[in-house]
Amino acid sequence: MMEAETAKILGEKFRAGDLSAKEITQAYLGRISKHDGKLNAFLQVFEKRSLKKAEELDRKRKGGRPLGKLAGIPIAIKDNILLKGEITTCGSKFLENYSSLYSATVCELLEKEDAILIGKTNLDEFAMGGSGTHSAYGPTKNPWDLSRTPGGSSSGSAACVAARLTPLSLGSDTGGSIRQPASFTGITGFKPSYGRVSRYGLVAFASSMDQIGPFSQDAEDAALVMEVLSGSCQKDATQIQSPPPNFLEKINEPIAGTKVGIPWDFMKELESSSRSHFEKTLEICKELGVEFIPIDLSVLKYGIALYYILATAEASANLARFDGVRYGKRSSRATTLDEIYDFSRQEGFGSEVKNRILLGTYILSSDHIDTYYVKAQKIRTLIIRKMREAFGQCDLIAMPVTPSVAFPLDQIGEDPLKEYLQDLYTVGVNIAGLPAISVPSGFNHEGLPMGLQIIGPQMHDSDVLRLAHHFQKATDFATKIPDGFGGEL
Amino acid sequence: MSDIPYEHWEPVIGLEIHVQLNTQTKMYTRSPNHFGDEPNVNIDPVDTGQPGTLPVLNAQAVRFAIQLGLAIGAEISPVSTFDRKSYFYPDTPRNYQITQFFQPILRGGRVTCDVGGKTRHFSIDRAHLEDDSGMLKHFTSFAGIDFNRAGVPLIEIVSTPTLHSPSDATAYAKTLRAIMQYLGIANCNMEEGGMRMDANVSVRKRGEKSLRPKIEIKNMNSFYNMELAIESAIRAQIEAYERCPHAPHEELIVQGTYRWNMGNRRLELLRMKENALDYRYFPEPDLPPLYVEQKQIEDLKKTLPELPHQRYRRYVEELNLPAESAGILVLEKFTADFFEEALAVAKNASSLASWITVEFAGRLKERGLTLKSSGLQAKHVGMLVKLIQDKTITGRIAKQVAGNMLEKPESDPVSIVQANPDYQPVQDTSVIEPIVDRILEENPQSIADYKAGRTKALAFLVGQIMKETRGKASPSVVNDLIQKKID
Repeated sequence: MMEAETAKILGEKFRAGDLSAKEITQAYLGRISKHDGKLNAFLQVFEKRSLKKAEELDRKRKGGRPLGKLAGIPIAIKDNILLKGEITTCGSKFLENYSSLYSATVCELLEKEDAILIGKTNLDEFAMGGSGTHSAYGPTKNPWDLSRTPGGSSSGSAACVAARLTPLSLGSDTGGSIRQPASFTGITGFKPSYGRVSRYGLVAFASSMDQIGPFSQDAEDAALVMEVLSGSCQKDATQIQSPPPNFLEKINEPIAGTKVGIPWDFMKELESSSRSHFEKTLEICKELGVEFIPIDLSVLKYGIALYYILATAEASANLARFDGVRYGKRSSRATTLDEIYDFSRQEGFGSEVKNRILLGTYILSSDHIDTYYVKAQKIRTLIIRKMREAFGQCDLIAMPVTPSVAFPLDQIGEDPLKEYLQDLYTVGVNIAGLPAISVPSGFNHEGLPMGLQIIGPQMHDSDVLRLAHHFQKATDFATKIPDGFGGEL
Repeated sequence: MSDIPYEHWEPVIGLEIHVQLNTQTKMYTRSPNHFGDEPNVNIDPVDTGQPGTLPVLNAQAVRFAIQLGLAIGAEISPVSTFDRKSYFYPDTPRNYQITQFFQPILRGGRVTCDVGGKTRHFSIDRAHLEDDSGMLKHFTSFAGIDFNRAGVPLIEIVSTPTLHSPSDATAYAKTLRAIMQYLGIANCNMEEGGMRMDANVSVRKRGEKSLRPKIEIKNMNSFYNMELAIESAIRAQIEAYERCPHAPHEELIVQGTYRWNMGNRRLELLRMKENALDYRYFPEPDLPPLYVEQKQIEDLKKTLPELPHQRYRRYVEELNLPAESAGILVLEKFTADFFEEALAVAKNASSLASWITVEFAGRLKERGLTLKSSGLQAKHVGMLVKLIQDKTITGRIAKQVAGNMLEKPESDPVSIVQANPDYQPVQDTSVIEPIVDRILEENPQSIADYKAGRTKALAFLVGQIMKETRGKASPSVVNDLIQKKID
């Protein structure tokens, strides 16, 4: 079954001539056409573009010319990442007709390595949300249970890989937006260290926390994509200029003896079934030769408050450019400059985005900046220090990804704070700029996926991927495909 | 300006000057930094604030800032940071400017002005890097935005409030301009918006230590208008205090931001202080802190050129120029360079300086020209002075030649003199001699004075003869004849 193949295997089959790029692309386009109606994962499908690329690749291979690392492999892109000449909506009405003037560095790197960009995926508007319900284009559904959310904000990117509508996708993670949907949909989602991957071309939400990362079936595929994404970029001053390791080699190095810290104290409110699941997961790791030690990360209890102060503050400035003057929505009702600003933003933004802009603006206002923003920055430094201290005692940290499994779509919106509290275990990672992965760790009694989070010190991306890879070699959770989406190809 | 009662009231002025740096590319992008092109050709997605774009610092702009710091003796911060300054306006593509609010690259420093024959020092509070906005252009039924200027590097230099008159302000601003021109870091072309001044103005009783409420006058782009505006503010404030000597100061002065209306010659309130914008400054997350290494500073120190004050001292001490002339020459790099090029030909520095700063300056002003725009060539001006020194022509004829040179800047004075018989001094001794004889006969006292050692008497005699010949006699022939006849 092609949909059960990992990207790595597909790539190998393509190179060997067992499968043509055209066959692969047509197969996945067929799957998208058949299944995406149920999911609403895709905002745009690049049928012509991807088939054209596939044909080029087939000619390239026949001609014996060198092929890129992702040759023949379709990949979907979250719609807050720009691709030149294509519409980028960011899940918002504001950018409904916005045609990108340039391609994000990650897209250029992917195309250079011959990946087949197959479409743009749905997301919470401007990456703000954890459910997919804040998209202006309707929510994406979880392929494991269509009445539930796949998580967010990278809802479409997670759902399409989970349903195997494409073997790979790109998402972005500011407070958990890759890891949480990966956990909710039973796939692997990796957030690189802050500064590992260029942000040029990612529509900014919280500039000091955003990172682009891969969704894949397993850590090995994630490593393959990371080899491509980590390319150096001269247009992002926050990218750390450090030659990336050979990820695919590194993940196969031995894992025995690795010390993994567990912040039991921070997890004490975890609901009992989640907790026992987590403990069982740790047992599997123990068998790999991993040693667990308790660590104190109680400071992470400030994480959510911190995140919603700092991220919204940065977002309020990042979204100021959407003003109806140069591009995007300009209200037809506007007759003065102030009306252009007011009405365009009123009509173009959804309520979650408006909430966050208002909150961020309030936090930065001169009367309140010391109370909230400055204080939060100080605690951020504290968290960074505490994480560094913890990594003085252990090589990696393990935690749950979310307090619960994917929740029903009709329960969302009752209590916005409840949605924010989902980020409890994920935001600390963005606050400290660390690499972290969510790998499928099994299913709950309802058959809904659960995830294990592995976190590493900054720029130790390959170490995180290595433990994830070994864990996946010892388990089969990553191979599971939701009912109704398998057994065709 | 003379009607301001300076003996009772002390104006207190601080200047914030924005200068466009002369870098190849913009502050945060590699688009060309160039004035005068068709709208929106020097832009890229970052300059127009497209989604997903990021700033990257211009290393040349940093070097220029360091050079300025070295020239004014400022402290160059080993670490400085960038901040977002938020406000909505169509010429601001991100609706925030990236500036340095919390930790600027330069702190302190001072400017040494040699203006009006005196040397004074004015101190600087800080200077920092930021980017310029685009330009709004208003048409009949719509407004357009030209983003060519958006992102051009600016250095903002903030003085301490230690300027005490409109002329202080001009002296300070002109000297800063000269320093930057000498360093080659900025053109400060006022007509192109290369240098803009904001002034903070307050007044206090002479001897008072504390500061009274101030007003801000924004965006003045000529020294003349700046002086008028500041003077207007000073006068208005003094008037208010004198009218109501017991009222609380804050009630008398409408604090806020003003602009100078050049047409009406009036200050107009733009925004009251209470309604001042909250810029919500916070650290720019897209730019890491800027680290300046000691080595870079030392390397740049070695490349510092002669600065205006050093050039001034050289002119006064080595060339023996009068202080006031020297001060005028050094204030414009072009003028000082012109002077030195002409000096190679002229050889008489004082005379040349006077011709440039007085004679030619006056004629240029009449014609609405600058030395640069006139097209005059330095070696020609030098030659003119040499011709006078060599007594080939008289000073009086030289003035006419100067006029001719301005009309046709390509022509050189030697050709002009040769082409015009009126300019040829009369050499014929048979014509001059009778006149010499007559004057000597009529002024026996002068002959006696001269023989007694008073050289002025000789000059008097020469002058009389020149008057008789309507300035046409060759001064050297006259001198020779007189000497022969007297001795």
